[in-house]
Amino acid sequence: MSRLRVDWPSCQARGLCHELLPELVELDEWGYPIVGGEVTDDLVADARAAVRACPRLALRLVAR
Amino acid sequence: MTRPASPVPVPHDVCIHPGPALLEGVADGPSLAAHRERFGDLPAVALPDLLRLVRGVGLRGRGGAAFPFAVKLEAASRRRRPVVVVNLSEGEPASAKDSALALARPHLVLDGAVAAARALGSRELHLVVTGERPRVRLSIRQALEERGGDVAVHVHTATPRFVAGQARAVIELLSGRPNLPVTAWTPEAVDGLRGRPTLLSNAETWAHVGLLVLRGEGAYRRHGTDAEPGTALLTLTSPGEDPHVREVAYGTRLRDVLPEAAQGLPALVGGFHGSWATWPTLASARVSVPGLAALGTPLGAGVLLVPDADTCPVELTSRIVTFLAGQSAGRCGPCLNGLPALAAAVRDLATGWGGASRAGELAALVRGRGACAHPDGTARLVRSLLGTLSHEVAEHAAGGCTHASAAVAS
Repeated sequence: MSRLRVDWPSCQARGLCHELLPELVELDEWGYPIVGGEVTDDLVADARAAVRACPRLALRLVAR
Repeated sequence: MTRPASPVPVPHDVCIHPGPALLEGVADGPSLAAHRERFGDLPAVALPDLLRLVRGVGLRGRGGAAFPFAVKLEAASRRRRPVVVVNLSEGEPASAKDSALALARPHLVLDGAVAAARALGSRELHLVVTGERPRVRLSIRQALEERGGDVAVHVHTATPRFVAGQARAVIELLSGRPNLPVTAWTPEAVDGLRGRPTLLSNAETWAHVGLLVLRGEGAYRRHGTDAEPGTALLTLTSPGEDPHVREVAYGTRLRDVLPEAAQGLPALVGGFHGSWATWPTLASARVSVPGLAALGTPLGAGVLLVPDADTCPVELTSRIVTFLAGQSAGRCGPCLNGLPALAAAVRDLATGWGGASRAGELAALVRGRGACAHPDGTARLVRSLLGTLSHEVAEHAAGGCTHASAAVAS
C-alpha cells in the first residue's frame, strides 16, 4: 500500500492534484490540498499522474 | 510585518533548584573542576555499551516528542561518519530547562555528547544556541574554552523563532541555509547533515546520556519508577514571575511540584504546543511520559504554565495562538493561511464575537499539514481549550468572563 505525501514548503496551491485525482485530493479554502488516506490499487495510475503533473514537484507517492 | 511578542517572555533569569541527579549540587557552580570533582572523569564507552545503557533505562528524547534515544543512536551508527548535534535553541519561550543546564551544568551536557561522538567515531560535534538567550551562549563558550581541544566543536547561533529549534530547521542552519523547517523524507538519524546520519538531541537528553556514562545504570535507577527510571526537568512558570527549573523523579505527584499559588487553578502542560489540564486532573497526575499522554496532556518538553487566578485562560490561549501564528516560517500554505485564521477565530471566541465551531474546524484542518509539527502543536492547544476548558469557552460565547484580565483583553 502507498499514500500521497505533500512537500508543503514546495506546494503553491496550483490545484492540479485535485483536478487529476479528486477521489483522494480535496482543496481547502486557500486552495491547498487535503490528501485522503491509502491509495488503493484502482487509483495508483491516477495518483502517479497527479505526482507527475505537479508543476512544483511537491507531491510524492510513498510506501507505507 | 512585525510579529506579535510572546505572552510569556523569554526569561532573563531562571531560578534553578538543586535536584536529585542532573542538578545535584548545582551550587558548586558550572566550572569543569567542580564538575570533575563531583562526577569524575569521562570514561571511554564503546557503542554497544552505550546502546545497552540508554536502552536499559528506556531513555527518551526530552525535546517534546519523547522518541526513544536508543533507536536514534542505533540508526545513526549504521552508516558512515555520523554527526552529533546538541540542540540548545529552546525555541519555546516558556521553557528554560535547557538554558538552566547550559548555565549550571554545561559539562554534563557536553560529556554526554562527547561520549556519544566518541562511541560513534564522529569527527563533528555541533552545538546550536540561540541569540535570544545570550547568557546560554556565553556559558557554553566558557565551558568549551575550559575543556580545551578534547573534541572539535562547532557552535552555531539559531534565529530567534519558535520553529527554529525544530530538528530539520537546525540541520538547515548547519548546512548554511535559512534556519527554517523543511520536509523530512527520512529521519535525521538516517539522512541528516550533508546526507550523513545525524544524531540530534536537545541539551537535557544529552545531560541524561552524560549522567548514565558517568554514574552508571544502577545510580540512574535510584530515582524514578521501575517502568520509568530517572528524572525529568520541568519549567514551572507563572506570569510575572521568573520561571523555576526543577528536576523531579518520574512518578512524583504534580501537586507536590506545583507552587502553592497554583493549587486549584488550571495549567498549560507541555508549553505553547501543549494542552490545558484542570486542577482535578493535575492534582491526581504524576510526572510520567505515558501517564500524562494517557490523560491527554503530554508532558512535551516539561513546561508547566500556571496563569494566575486573574488571567483568563481563553484570553491567554488567544494571545499564545496569535504569537504562534506569527512564528510560522510562512513556507507551508496550510500554516501560513490557517494559523492566522485560527488565531482570529480564537480571538473572536475570547472577545465573544464568535463561537467555538470555526476554531474547532480550523484546528482540525491544519493538523498534519506542514513540514514540521508547528500547525499540529498549535491545533492541539486550541483543541484542548475547546475540550478541557469548555465551560470557560461557553462563558465567553455568552459574552461573559469571570476573570479580571478580560477588562484589558486585546
